[in-house]
Amino acid sequence: MDDLEILSEYSLYLKEKKEEGKKVIGFIAHDNIPEELIDAAGFIPLRMIFAGNDDLMNASHDYLPPSTCAFAQSSIGLFSLKPSQFNFLDLLDYFIVSNHCVSDICASEIISKYFNIPRLNFYISYTKNDNSLKYFKLELIDLKQQLEKIRGSEIPSKDLRESILKYNKFKKRLLEINNLYMKGSKKLKIIQKALLFGPDFIQDLEQIIQEYKEKSPINQINSKDLVLTGCSIFINDYLIDLIEEAGGNVVFLDTWIGNHYSSQIIDDKLIDAKKDPLNLIIKRFHDNIYGDHSVPNYLEFKISQIEKIYHDYKLKTGKKLGVINHIIKFCDHISIMSAHLKNQLQEKGIRVLNLERDYSRANRGQLSTRIEAFMEML
Amino acid sequence: MSLMADDIIQFSSVLRIAYNLLAGRDYLKRKKFREKKKLISVALPFSDLIYGFPDLVPVFPIRMHAFKIHKYLTYLSLGSDIFGWKRVSKFLSFVKNLGISEASRIIEEIIGDVIDTVNDKYNEMYDLGIESGIPNDFCYGIKSLYGMHVSKGKNVEATLNYTIRCSAWNKYLESLKTIENPAKQVWIDIPPRNIGNALELLTENIYDAIRELEKISGNNYDKNILRNHFQVANEIRKYYKTILYEISTSDFYPCNPATFSEILVILNNSFQDYNSNAIRYRDNMLSLVNEMKERIRNKIGMDVSKMPRILVTPMFGGWEPKSHEIIYELGGRALYADWDMLLLLEEIPISKFSDPVEAYAQFLLNATKTGIGCDNDTLTDSYIRLAKQLNAEGLVFIQLFGCHSISNCYAMLKEKIRRDLEIPSIALTFNKIGENVEQVKTRLGAFMEMFK
Repeated sequence: MDDLEILSEYSLYLKEKKEEGKKVIGFIAHDNIPEELIDAAGFIPLRMIFAGNDDLMNASHDYLPPSTCAFAQSSIGLFSLKPSQFNFLDLLDYFIVSNHCVSDICASEIISKYFNIPRLNFYISYTKNDNSLKYFKLELIDLKQQLEKIRGSEIPSKDLRESILKYNKFKKRLLEINNLYMKGSKKLKIIQKALLFGPDFIQDLEQIIQEYKEKSPINQINSKDLVLTGCSIFINDYLIDLIEEAGGNVVFLDTWIGNHYSSQIIDDKLIDAKKDPLNLIIKRFHDNIYGDHSVPNYLEFKISQIEKIYHDYKLKTGKKLGVINHIIKFCDHISIMSAHLKNQLQEKGIRVLNLERDYSRANRGQLSTRIEAFMEML
Repeated sequence: MSLMADDIIQFSSVLRIAYNLLAGRDYLKRKKFREKKKLISVALPFSDLIYGFPDLVPVFPIRMHAFKIHKYLTYLSLGSDIFGWKRVSKFLSFVKNLGISEASRIIEEIIGDVIDTVNDKYNEMYDLGIESGIPNDFCYGIKSLYGMHVSKGKNVEATLNYTIRCSAWNKYLESLKTIENPAKQVWIDIPPRNIGNALELLTENIYDAIRELEKISGNNYDKNILRNHFQVANEIRKYYKTILYEISTSDFYPCNPATFSEILVILNNSFQDYNSNAIRYRDNMLSLVNEMKERIRNKIGMDVSKMPRILVTPMFGGWEPKSHEIIYELGGRALYADWDMLLLLEEIPISKFSDPVEAYAQFLLNATKTGIGCDNDTLTDSYIRLAKQLNAEGLVFIQLFGCHSISNCYAMLKEKIRRDLEIPSIALTFNKIGENVEQVKTRLGAFMEMFK
């Protein structure tokens, strides 16, 4: 299954949904967008999880300077150049402008404004305290009202609760996938595909899990095992291939496409018919301590999380994990403390490669060399 | 260096503001060690809350550094202790008018030195920021602010951190925790949008910060002290706006336009913490306005009616300080007014709220909603509003390398300029002071041709 296949399948899927009369809501994917609300409204959430190349990045420079996050540049480029495999972007009915980071705001705003896609707003606080939770509720109510206006009726609490349950189940399966021992590139493709199709992909996930459980675990792959943290690897990116060509295998995706997304499960016991389901989404926001949006404790939490992943894996397999911290150039959240993340983990005996890059083809050779050198050190 | 810095000598208030900006270290040492006050680091014009606690002193961290202060500025300061500032500056003016060449030459150097000295330090802090782990991706302002905290952060008890729409800014504030023996952090989360009871939530967030500041200060918050400070802060804002809107838009300047631009630079820098003493700053601002008006009344200064007004913005995150001199040489006058573009020169509405904290929350929310904006559409409207208010005839947009927030909206802005203002505009890229002066000259040269 290659990226083109995934995109082509997804294109057909979206067309079918549109024919059923569903509206498609796009957004630059991040961990605090309440996709359950979109689902409960009867709409299809379209997560922008597509990587770029030189052409896409260059195409964004009419709108933003080149010193902007390469992912944001590419997302704009997709709308500007409209490569044929991304024709499904024409099916978007609305685009959410959100503030995961300021590049998210700028890119989403540009996509909405210059490519004539009506805009919805959803902003979140940077800190986590009682008031930011209250503010989060204001935004949830506001988004709910925006969605209700589009659909012309209220979103019943029952429907939202069902969506929460559905997404919970979806995330649990994804979590299982992330914990399976398989080739990293394969795992990544499964998760990427799942994020496009959403809970409609649950059955496929269950089938994959079953197949892998029947196979003998561990020692199938003779490689240097890695955890990938930092920025996600998006669809159409070659990075994971470079890692595997250099003899590495990403066994755990500690990125939004991976653990950040799938670990955000709401405790089923809390999903009570008598309670306001919006409070469940707020609870999830509150518990999302590993997301890179929040301040001021992101670095501490991230280090403790990677340490835990490292030690758990060592306990389970006897193998040491290396860490690749993937930094998309000009990413505010991941880049600024990357040197400190590396230093602090290395002090704990964990090897880290801070891999900064954009999507230009010219970088490929240099990236390979850096990854190969890191693999030799492991 | 300033082109006609001798103009400045007749503004004793500017000398005082400049001196207080540069001599912050001694002042702050006295406050900290002799008077046992605690220093709180602030950046951007967010120092007001600290003034609610008399034993806390806000400081924009670069001011904790020792600057090479021009010896004449030091003499002026010493002389002022004995004779008062006004007499000292009159005396110097007299000396200059006698044609004592050395005195004249030295006087010309003073104000240029202030700007150069501060900018040299900024560059030094920029390098230190990078050496200390801030990636090159980030803007000049963030790199140098981090450097300032690496070098002088140990002197402050806490940093007062306001979240704004810029994610790099918010993350930079968190990153200050990575510095050895970091100062305590006091956070105030400004809700991104003014929806529902966001004002109430922000008011509570400010109160939470006040509780933290009480712990640091050891004293209870007194709303009358804060209210009184807000009155002072509002006066400062009023004088600042008078300079921006009455004087800078007029056809006769109280000094050479390049010098006038330098005064605006000094105000832009010093407004962030009011040079750690709001009342003194207010008094100097009042004097500055009066001195400017008096000179204009007496026709001392320069007819600038033929010189196009060029708004140079945004510059607070970093810009090439030679810009205004180049613009002047090319026949224009450069105006800097970032804080008003972001609506941070608006009045804190204490007359509308019985609770000063609520008034401040309203002020911050207004700046967030309408000034800084939660998106570039609002932000570009702010640039347009400012350009209109200043009657700008041209706009130089500083495209700051690594800025993903305030200076990356030029495409959208250009469209609005064309539609709403119909004035020429140009984008200048900037990375580090002094790095690209020749290119700035060439680009501005081409730009200023449009006014001939």
